[in-house]
Amino acid sequence: MKILMVCTEKLPVPPVLGGAIQTYISGTLPILSKFHDITVIGISHPSLPDNEIKNGIQYVRVPGIILEIYREGVVQFIQNNSFDLIHIFNRPRLVMPIRGAAPNAKITLSMHNDMFNIEKIDPTEAASVLKEVSNIVTVSDYVGNVIRTLYPESVPTIRTIYSGVDTERFLPGNHPKMSEIRNSIRKQHGLENKTVLLFAGRLSVNKGVDRLIRALPQLSTKFKDLALVVMGSKWFSQDDVTDYVAYIRALAKKQSIPVVATGFVSPSEIQKWFASADLFVCTSLWQEPLARVHYEAMAAGLPIVTTARGGNSEVIIQNENGLIVENPEDPSCFAEKITTILSDKSLMKRMGIRGRELAVANYEWNRVANEILEVWQQSIEAPLTNIQHNDLESIQTPLTNNTQSETLEVYQVEPDNEFSKQDKVDKEDKVDKKDKKDKKEKKDKKDQVDKKGKKDKKDNKKDNKKDKKDKKDKKDKKDKKDKQK
Amino acid sequence: MENIVIVPWEPDELTHEFFVPEYIIALAAEVLKHYSFQVKSMQVVTTKPDKGGAIWRLETNEGPKSFKLLHRRPTRSMFSLGAQKYLVEVQGARVPAVIQTKAGQEFIEAGGKLWFVAEWIEPLAPVTKDLEGAKQLCYALGEFHQLSKGYIPPSQAEVASRLAKWPKSYEKVITKMDWFRNIAKAYKEMPASQSILNVVDTFQEQARKSLADLKQSSYLSLVEQGNKSWGLVHQDYGWSNGQMGPNGMWIIDLDGVAYDLPIRDLRKLISGTMSDLFNWDVTWIREMIRAYHEASPLTPELYELLMIDFSLPNEFYKNIKEVVYEPETFLNETTTQLIQTIVDTDQSKWPALNEIQHDWRK
Repeated sequence: MKILMVCTEKLPVPPVLGGAIQTYISGTLPILSKFHDITVIGISHPSLPDNEIKNGIQYVRVPGIILEIYREGVVQFIQNNSFDLIHIFNRPRLVMPIRGAAPNAKITLSMHNDMFNIEKIDPTEAASVLKEVSNIVTVSDYVGNVIRTLYPESVPTIRTIYSGVDTERFLPGNHPKMSEIRNSIRKQHGLENKTVLLFAGRLSVNKGVDRLIRALPQLSTKFKDLALVVMGSKWFSQDDVTDYVAYIRALAKKQSIPVVATGFVSPSEIQKWFASADLFVCTSLWQEPLARVHYEAMAAGLPIVTTARGGNSEVIIQNENGLIVENPEDPSCFAEKITTILSDKSLMKRMGIRGRELAVANYEWNRVANEILEVWQQSIEAPLTNIQHNDLESIQTPLTNNTQSETLEVYQVEPDNEFSKQDKVDKEDKVDKKDKKDKKEKKDKKDQVDKKGKKDKKDNKKDNKKDKKDKKDKKDKKDKKDKQK
Repeated sequence: MENIVIVPWEPDELTHEFFVPEYIIALAAEVLKHYSFQVKSMQVVTTKPDKGGAIWRLETNEGPKSFKLLHRRPTRSMFSLGAQKYLVEVQGARVPAVIQTKAGQEFIEAGGKLWFVAEWIEPLAPVTKDLEGAKQLCYALGEFHQLSKGYIPPSQAEVASRLAKWPKSYEKVITKMDWFRNIAKAYKEMPASQSILNVVDTFQEQARKSLADLKQSSYLSLVEQGNKSWGLVHQDYGWSNGQMGPNGMWIIDLDGVAYDLPIRDLRKLISGTMSDLFNWDVTWIREMIRAYHEASPLTPELYELLMIDFSLPNEFYKNIKEVVYEPETFLNETTTQLIQTIVDTDQSKWPALNEIQHDWRK
C-alpha cells in the first residue's frame, strides 16, 4: 500500500530535536517500511534535506512551526500525489483539509494528547473529523477516554497503542555496555556510593519536580546516601529564568541531600543518565497523556514511582515495576512511596528487573509497529466516509482561524511556560508568531551566550539581578520619599 | 548589521547610570539614518540594561524627539506602536505622535528589536501628589481607556491581551503563596522568613476568596464582549507616565499596552496610592473612582470587578514575589519591615472596601 505519514508542524522527523511523536514515528518506521511504500511528510530543518529517500522511505519536508503554513505545504503535496492511506499524527485540525485534497484515501489519526479538547478544536469541526477518520490510535487509554467522553456519539474505533523504547539503547546500569558510562557519570558528579533518584522532564509547575525536592527532607531522615538528579534543560538558563526554575533552585540549595542538575542533555544521550540512576520518579501533577520517560526508565531497569494522573499509571503494575502516588500534590506521598522501595533492597531490585522484562516484552518498537500495521489493515478495509460535500466546505472555513493552532505538544518543545499549558492556550491568538519569534530569539540568545562563554554569563547575571534589585530598592525608597513630601 | 543581536548588558562600577554598549550606539546611528530630520545631539535618558532597552532624547532640526529601543519582542512592540498610532491619528489622544521614517514606516527593526521615534512632549509636569493630582490622573486614565476602544493591531503584530487571563493570574497568586511559604520554611534562619510564615496563610486565603468571587461575578460575560470593545490598559500608569502638558494631561510610555478590562489600571493606581499613603482612605478611593467615572463611566459589573481586584493581596504579592530569586539576600530585615508595613496597611483596607462596596448598586 502507498501510505503517507503526516507529522506535526512543531518538530522534525527524525527526532533531531527530540519529541515524543517524532520518536514514535522514527521508532516504528524501520519495520513499517518493510511492508508498505511509505512517505513521511514533516517540517524542514537545516540539518535535513527537503527531499530524500532513505532506507526505502521517502521524506518530504516543508516549512512548519505555524500550523497554517504547514497545512498549506501538506495539502499541496497531497494534491499532487496519491495515497491509499494517510496517517495523521496528533493534528485533528489537519484532517478536513487533507480530506479535501485526498477524497479517496483512508485516514487514520493518532492522538498523543488532548487535542480534541474544546479549546483546541471547534466542536463542529471535531465531530466532522471523527466521521472522516477510519480509526483513531491513542498513546494511552486515558487519551482515548477523554475523546469518548467529549464525543460519545461520534467516536470511531479507538485503539491504544502504547509507545515504545529502544531497549538496546536504554539499558540497565549494570549492563556491560553501560557500566563504564554509569561509573564515569557518577564519578563526575559526585554520585559514587549514592542512591540516585532521577527526575527527567520539563521544569514546570505541571511536571511538579518541586514536590520531589520538597520530599527530600523527609527522605533524608531515613536514608543517608541519597542524591537527586534533575534532568531538565532550563535549570541553568540565564536570560529567561522562570520564577518556577528560580523557586526550585532556591529549594534545592537548602537540601542536605545533594541535588544535581544536568542542564540540557541531548536526546541521543539521555540513556546515560537513566543508566546512572537507581530509582525513577515522575512527579506530574497534570493529566499527562503518558510520558515516554516511563518506558525509558523501565528499559533502564529502574523501579518507578509515578503519579495517578492521566495515563502514567497505565504502564505500572503496582509492586511489580513501581508504585503509584495517588495524591501527587503532597510531597510526603512521594516520600512514602520512595521509602517503601528504598527500604526493601530486594523489592527494589525485583522492580528494576521486572521493569526491564516488561520493556522488552511489551514496549519494543516491534510491537508498536505491528499494532500500527493491524490498524492500517482495518483502516483500508473500512468504508470510506459518506460525509456530504457541502458539510466539507463549511467545515474548512473556520480553519483559517488560528486561535486553535496552539498545541498541547508544545510543552515538549518549548518549555517556556511555567504555570500550565492553559496559560499557553490563553496566548493562543498570538502564539504562532510568538513561537516562531521565540525560537529565533532563543537561537540568537544561544549564539550570543556561546560566544560570551557560559560561566562569564552566569556570574554577570547574578550581579545583574542584584543590581536590579538594588536599583528597585532605591527607586522604591525614592518614590516613597517623594510621595511623603 | 544584520547579524547583530541586542542582548541585555551588565552595568558595573566602571559604567555610569546611562551606559549603553557601543554596538548599540552604533546601531542607533544606523537606525537614525532612516529619518529625514537632522540630529543635533542625542542623550540617553533611561536604560533597561537587564532587558536590553533604552531611550534617548534627540535634539533635531525639527525639535526634540524621543528615540526608543524597545526591549520586547518585535511582534509585541508592533502591537503597542500600532496602538500609539491609532490613539494619535484616529482618536486624537494626547499621546506622543510616532514619527515616520523616510519610507513611511513607524519603526525600524535592527539588532532583533524595534526602534522608533516619537515627539518629545514639552513642557510636561507631574501633577501634584495629593488628591487633586490623583483625580487628574484618574480622569486622564478614563479618557485614555475610552479612546483606546476600537483598536485593531496591524496584521503582523501579536495580539497582546490579558482580557481572558484574570482567573489564571489569580490562580498564580495562590500558587505562588505556596512558594513563598516553602521558601520561608527552607530559609527559616533568615530574618524575614518568620514574618512571611506569620501572614502568608491569611493572604493566600484572601486570594482564594478573590478567585471564588471572580468566578461568581459577571467576569465571563464581560470577557465575551471582546478585546476591541474593551480597549487597552496602559499597565504602567502613574505619576510619571501621566503628566500635565500642552492642552491637558498627556499619557506617555505606551510600550506595554494590552487589551484588558480597563479598570485594572485604575485598580493599580488606587491600590498603589493607598500603599503610598500607608492607609486605605475612603475619601481618596471614592474621589478617584468618581474622577475616572466622569471620563469613562463604570457599570455596576465593572465596579464589582474593581472591588474583587482590590481584594487580592496585590501589595504583598507584588513585593514578595522576588523572593524566589535570591532568598539569602531578599529575606533580610528590610523585608521584615516591609511586610509589617503591608500588614498594617492591610488593616485599613477591609473596612474601606466594605464601606464602598455598594456605591454602584446594580
